[in-house]
Amino acid sequence: MARSFKIGIFDEEEKFLSSLRSLNEQEFMIYDVFTPYPIHEVFHLLKRRSRLPTAAYFFGLFAIVATLAFLYYTSVIDWPIVYGGKPFNSFPSFIVVTIILTILTVTILSLALFSARSKLFPGRDNTIFDRRATNDKFVIVIDADDRDMTKAGKAGSLMKDQGAIEVLDKEFESINE
Amino acid sequence: MYNRKIRGPLIEGNKTLGQITEDVINPMDVSPGMWWFLAFGLASAAAVFGAYCIYITVYKGIGTWGVNNSVAWGWAIVNFVWWIGIGHAGTAFSIFLLILRQRWRTSINRAAEAMTVFAVISAALFPALHMGRIWLAFYIFPYPNTRGPLWVNFNSPLFWDFTAITAYLLISVSFWYLGMLPDLATIRDKTISKIRKTLYGFFSLGWTGSSRHWIRYESLSFVLGGIAAVLVVSVHSIVATDFAVGIEPGWHSTIFPPFFVVGAIFSGFAMVMTLMVIIRKVYKLTDYITDNHMDAIARILIFISLIMGTAYLTEVFVAWYSGNEYEMFTFFRNRITGDYKIQFWGMVVCNALIPQLFWFKKMRRNWMGLLFVSLSINVGMWLERFNIVITSLTKDFLPSNWVSYTPTVIDIGVFAGTVGLFGVGVLLFMRYIPMMAISELKGVAHIGSKIED
Repeated sequence: MARSFKIGIFDEEEKFLSSLRSLNEQEFMIYDVFTPYPIHEVFHLLKRRSRLPTAAYFFGLFAIVATLAFLYYTSVIDWPIVYGGKPFNSFPSFIVVTIILTILTVTILSLALFSARSKLFPGRDNTIFDRRATNDKFVIVIDADDRDMTKAGKAGSLMKDQGAIEVLDKEFESINE
Repeated sequence: MYNRKIRGPLIEGNKTLGQITEDVINPMDVSPGMWWFLAFGLASAAAVFGAYCIYITVYKGIGTWGVNNSVAWGWAIVNFVWWIGIGHAGTAFSIFLLILRQRWRTSINRAAEAMTVFAVISAALFPALHMGRIWLAFYIFPYPNTRGPLWVNFNSPLFWDFTAITAYLLISVSFWYLGMLPDLATIRDKTISKIRKTLYGFFSLGWTGSSRHWIRYESLSFVLGGIAAVLVVSVHSIVATDFAVGIEPGWHSTIFPPFFVVGAIFSGFAMVMTLMVIIRKVYKLTDYITDNHMDAIARILIFISLIMGTAYLTEVFVAWYSGNEYEMFTFFRNRITGDYKIQFWGMVVCNALIPQLFWFKKMRRNWMGLLFVSLSINVGMWLERFNIVITSLTKDFLPSNWVSYTPTVIDIGVFAGTVGLFGVGVLLFMRYIPMMAISELKGVAHIGSKIED
């Protein structure tokens, strides 16, 4: 089913933000916003948050345990060799490898998680609402499905009043987000 | 907070967002000019010669190098440590300054990270070749094998080094690429060329600039930055342990890890400065890489140079204070005086004395001055590694082991080859990848500009 959207395009950060604030206050269905650079107020207004740091913490925990287990298995159980008279399980000299492999594991797993959650990977064709959003425009996309035409219209005029340079209606057959 | 009255705007010329995109992408659209092709030809020639020398090394063995029984680590290790040091710039720049929220990093970090990637690749070549039988290099991976399974020695700094450098390369590449995503999408959405649209579309992974993307992107940057900062410190500390666990006089020292890390950041920042002086001159990007940026790097260099000077003094002092005759011999008869005194004093002059010129504002604001000092630091840091590796090995405990060391043409050729490889990489980077992080520049465009107050 085709979905229709009301799209407001701004060329100044202040106008874009004040418009987003009022849209948010009046509880319009803000589908998403697109900006050329990250703006923290947007995250607060749209209540976007990321649990990636928490996940990264657990990746790190997993990596530490896995690395130490691997080192213990190879150096103590599988093929013990005495190096310089030190014990098989010479923990202090395992620390370095553990640190490095933890960093590497956290990086790779966090990147993979980022890629999966944000749906960003090679060949991915995410829907682009307005091509100018990666250059110099700030774009607000409002959900405008059939039942709510009047509401979407109001949102359009609100954005226009707040200084949008353009307000467009667009329909998309399917959305990749 | 950022004080505009003191520091001036981060980006000059009151750029609009569109202008920033134009300015950064422009060098990729226009033909780069004669100098680029000339430099590219020169760098490729050096790289080809290096490839030939590598072929000779692999075909005949490392007997073609100047190394011998006493000096088992020759130019290869000197060059390896030098390149790895330079490779610290990118991460030091983008990660330390990201965590410290120094937003002036935005115009420089992309180029610094590119440098890192090519420098680390150049560095990694040397230990691989030094193994002698490069086709068996995979033995160093700890994988279940049919030789026992015999595992690698996890207690050895040489293995730590291998782990650290592999991890460092992978992480720098991913950090660099992650930062590039929004900019690749910018090019995809702006270009009219079909080939570019497809290529940059593929590599931008479907980035749209959605708030969902941005929040995850930001938190991922901070997570990666936070943990990779540890890596910056650990990589060169481990390189230092390669030496410090040896019993050679002049190596067996606890000062080595911090001394090496500081040295690495020193040479890295110097290389960034060299590159930036050239880029802003050639591409006329002085609005983005302002005099204030160069000034800031110069100030960091003076500070690090003082640390380096202190470290050199400390080493000599401890050699004397220890009363150990071998240490005394190495420092007083084989470095300060003796066969390698030119290299020793060259190192002191280039690293500890010449950077002091940056106390003068005139030097910090003059591109010739910046280029002169940064190049001399690069030479000085190379001499420092030469000093450490070669002098200790040529004359150790037994006078019957004493030898002299001279590199062969093959040694020099491999080094020239890595310089060429680095050059080719940097030149291709200037041509095909936005040299500055466009989205980050846009984020700081208003800071300190007139719009804000």
